Amino acid sequence: MNNWYKNFDWILVLCWIALTLIGLAAIYSATQGPVSQFLPSYIQENFFKQLLWVAISIVILIIVQFTAPRTFQQGSYLFYAFCILLMISTLLFGVEINGARSWISIAGVRFQVSEIMKIGTILAVSNYLTSRRNISAEKLSSALVAVGIILLPTGLTLLQNDTGTALVLLSLIPVMLFWSGLPRGISLFIISPAIIGYFAVIQWYWGILAVLIVSIAVFLIQKRTWLTLTSLIFGIIIVAGVHIALYQVLEPHQRARIEAFTNPSFDPHGAGWNVIQAKTAIGSGGLTGKGFMKGTQTQLRFLPEQWTDFIYCVIGEEFGFIGASIVIIIFLIMLMRLLNVAGSHNHPFAQLVIVGIASIFFVHILINIGSAMGLLPVIGIPLPFISYGGSAFMSNTFMLAIALNMELYHRDFSIFV
Amino acid sequence: MRRLQKQHIKSSIRVLQVSMIGLFFVLIGRLYQLQILDYQKYNPLSKKNSIRREYVSPARGLIYDRNGNLLVDNEPIYTITITPAKYDTNNNALLARLLNVKTSDLRNKITEAENYSWHRKSRLYTEVDFGIFSRIQENIWRLPGIGHLIESKRHYPTPAKAAHLLGYLREVSQKTYLDSDHYQLGDKVGKSGLEQIYENYLRGKQGTSYKLVNAFGQELGPYDNGNLDKAPLQGSDLYTTLDTDLQIFAEKLMKNKRGSIVALNPQNGAILAMVSSPEYKLSKLAGRLDHKYWAKINADTTSPLFNRAIAAQEPPGSTIKPLMALIGLHLGVITPKTVINNPGYFYLGRRYGDHAEPGKYDLVKAIAHSSNTYFFTVMYKIARNGLFNKWHDLASDFGLGHLDYVDLPGERKGILPDSSYFNNRFGVRKWSIGDIINLGIGQGVMSVTPLQMALVSAEIANNGYKVQPHIVRAIKKSDGTFLSTDPVKKKISWVTQKDIDVVKKGMREVAVEGTARWYANVKNIKIAGKTGTAQNPRGKDDAWFISFAPYKNPKIALAVLVENAGYGSQSAVPISTLMIEKYLTGKVQRKWLLKKMINFNPADTTGTDE
Repeated sequence: MNNWYKNFDWILVLCWIALTLIGLAAIYSATQGPVSQFLPSYIQENFFKQLLWVAISIVILIIVQFTAPRTFQQGSYLFYAFCILLMISTLLFGVEINGARSWISIAGVRFQVSEIMKIGTILAVSNYLTSRRNISAEKLSSALVAVGIILLPTGLTLLQNDTGTALVLLSLIPVMLFWSGLPRGISLFIISPAIIGYFAVIQWYWGILAVLIVSIAVFLIQKRTWLTLTSLIFGIIIVAGVHIALYQVLEPHQRARIEAFTNPSFDPHGAGWNVIQAKTAIGSGGLTGKGFMKGTQTQLRFLPEQWTDFIYCVIGEEFGFIGASIVIIIFLIMLMRLLNVAGSHNHPFAQLVIVGIASIFFVHILINIGSAMGLLPVIGIPLPFISYGGSAFMSNTFMLAIALNMELYHRDFSIFV
Repeated sequence: MRRLQKQHIKSSIRVLQVSMIGLFFVLIGRLYQLQILDYQKYNPLSKKNSIRREYVSPARGLIYDRNGNLLVDNEPIYTITITPAKYDTNNNALLARLLNVKTSDLRNKITEAENYSWHRKSRLYTEVDFGIFSRIQENIWRLPGIGHLIESKRHYPTPAKAAHLLGYLREVSQKTYLDSDHYQLGDKVGKSGLEQIYENYLRGKQGTSYKLVNAFGQELGPYDNGNLDKAPLQGSDLYTTLDTDLQIFAEKLMKNKRGSIVALNPQNGAILAMVSSPEYKLSKLAGRLDHKYWAKINADTTSPLFNRAIAAQEPPGSTIKPLMALIGLHLGVITPKTVINNPGYFYLGRRYGDHAEPGKYDLVKAIAHSSNTYFFTVMYKIARNGLFNKWHDLASDFGLGHLDYVDLPGERKGILPDSSYFNNRFGVRKWSIGDIINLGIGQGVMSVTPLQMALVSAEIANNGYKVQPHIVRAIKKSDGTFLSTDPVKKKISWVTQKDIDVVKKGMREVAVEGTARWYANVKNIKIAGKTGTAQNPRGKDDAWFISFAPYKNPKIALAVLVENAGYGSQSAVPISTLMIEKYLTGKVQRKWLLKKMINFNPADTTGTDE
């Protein structure tokens, strides 16, 4: 570990520090603002709890740097199994918060197991795919096993009623498979339901348009007629399915919740409320924002869960377009850096792990910020490093620490390629 | 193979990076759209969201009597409000317990509020007592959607009803609310009496205050430290000419009778007391409307809401005779010495009856004993000399046939005919001198209001000066300055002192030895007046008496009209003279008469006095 500080990725660490500080400021504003006396005390405490978790996370970050990188590969299955067991026991003995039974209470400290489940899944899938070498379009059996490794914890999180985390886990599938050599057309085909579904919710004809564009793209990339046709038919089925689900199967109030992001005024005091208030918070921030602790939407609690799911609104309202876009840019720098690190790494396991970590961060950022701005339905997942939430902050830092570790030791890695 | 793999990885990174950058650009684009392009849309939205503009109702102006005693003031009422969208029905039991009402009753009220509006505040319980109000305030944090209003209602500290004078308030109508920017829905606006006429003064100017609220509607304190708040401007106070004691006394005298009393100061037209009976109770219309009571007084066939004192239009009967005398003297158709023989009737194509004893009448005697023949003759001469329209103009100078613009709503002008009126009503040449001569004794196509007759009495009493009848003498604005109403007093040019003296002598004789002698000849007070009877198509004749006192230097002039009381001398005269006695001496010596008049029932009257 000579000149470790030269090999250490200070850009990532600086991003992490910046995001953590911004997050702390936003949580402080959301829970300690001028009118915080109207908040229940357990919410006022959130800022101090977060401080504690940040401190713990720093310790973890440092400890991880002293771990041999092969430990992660060797221990991946064991860790995965351990996480699955924790998930099951959470299902049985867990604590229910906001309708999701995804918390386990250990010695009075509540922990969200699905957060470390993400790490376990990434490590296990990466290990599995690394051992299988490349995946090709013709030989999909190993791909199916990898999908299975991801689907098991996804199913468990769904059982815990934690849709957000399940979605994040699902998003690992196309990215990991794509990285391990799954042809691009097929990768696109795998993520196409998400794209088509999104547009189909907005309007059925947008859905059809998305189907056409995706199918043409699949054809252009892969030049396989059967895949293109499957994609086309599958896409149309999705559009029809979404339409039937929205108007036939779902109750109006369920539909309202899904449609809220496209048309919040449909139910302004029900499902649309959060969307309207979130957009109002961000929109009223303007270029420079209303100032720290001066956001009326934030301080007056027009947003529920503004220290977690809607924390981006706090930033948007109080720090304006400048502050909010800086946050996006920091995230972008972090993600680009992670992908570059992955690309330049010699070892496929490390590559896969870092890409997995980056994609998990990315999905979190996209969904959280997207729903805060009314681009996506409100799913309710935290913004990495910024939202309040000890388990999430710790797990995210853990993931970043693993990426840092792998980059730091990338020379050592090559020894046992 | 390895090189190929490297290639693959490189392109994979590009694909991932490009898609991420692309999607992040969508995010930043959206951010730009919301914060820069749509800023003008969302910024006011957030202001509206977190800042609640509240209108602060000003305290309505007070009303004082002539001695500075309060007639009308305000008392606070506490109202509990609900915003159904924010209210949690699980709190019903708690709320019902705090309000001390049945849960089912509360549920009905909430449903009512929901039907009105889901998102707007509506009144749940009005006029709750202070104890309940405080209990709710202590628990307000547990009751999202529940709020309060502190409003005020009119309070009447004296036993005077004065309903028609003071007037009542009602919630502003949708139309008024939309047409003016002075009101919020639910505000009260003067609907009758002084409250209506002086609405613009009494109302004051509503203030605004800006309060920070959170999503639960909890008030978090003033916005911008209250710098934007505008304090309400208190309404102006009215200082009236009313004599509360005399008003109470007048109301007592008119109890269980229908009719009215108008008493004014003949020197300046200041109204001292005004009663229209039957009355209603203003306190029952203050604050929460008592719907039963409102329906009752609206349906009452004796129309208690109708202000008889300024709107009842009756023929003046013989009370017109002093004015007839003045006009006759001025037009030269009679002199004070003119003697007219009364054979018991006046003959013009047919006999017109005369209740006065047959004999010879000069002017003073004709007034004192109310000789019809004398005044038929006067009117006949006027008509014969082509002075009918002149007669109209002269009578009009005393305030008849047009509005006198007293500061009360609903004044009527009565009928004072001239030839064009007759032409319109009966057709050209379809009317004759017979229609005119009836006017000489205040009958026929002619009507006056009690206020007008009080003015005639006052203007004779003050030797022919026109006065402006008024109730408010000064308005005290919220900054402490006074707006005084200038009492108009203008000599009626054609009235001479010589003529006035004769007519007043006649009116004095009415009280001393004429038609009012039984009750108007009061020790130590020289009263002058004139009785009258007006035919009422519904039942017995209405009794009139106009009067003033003291004879020299009059301080009070009155007109009293008692419906269906037959002859004036038994009802209107004692009521008037008791009023005069009360006003001039402060007490009533003739207790027996007072008692008699309080219990007086118009149905029991007999006798003659014309």
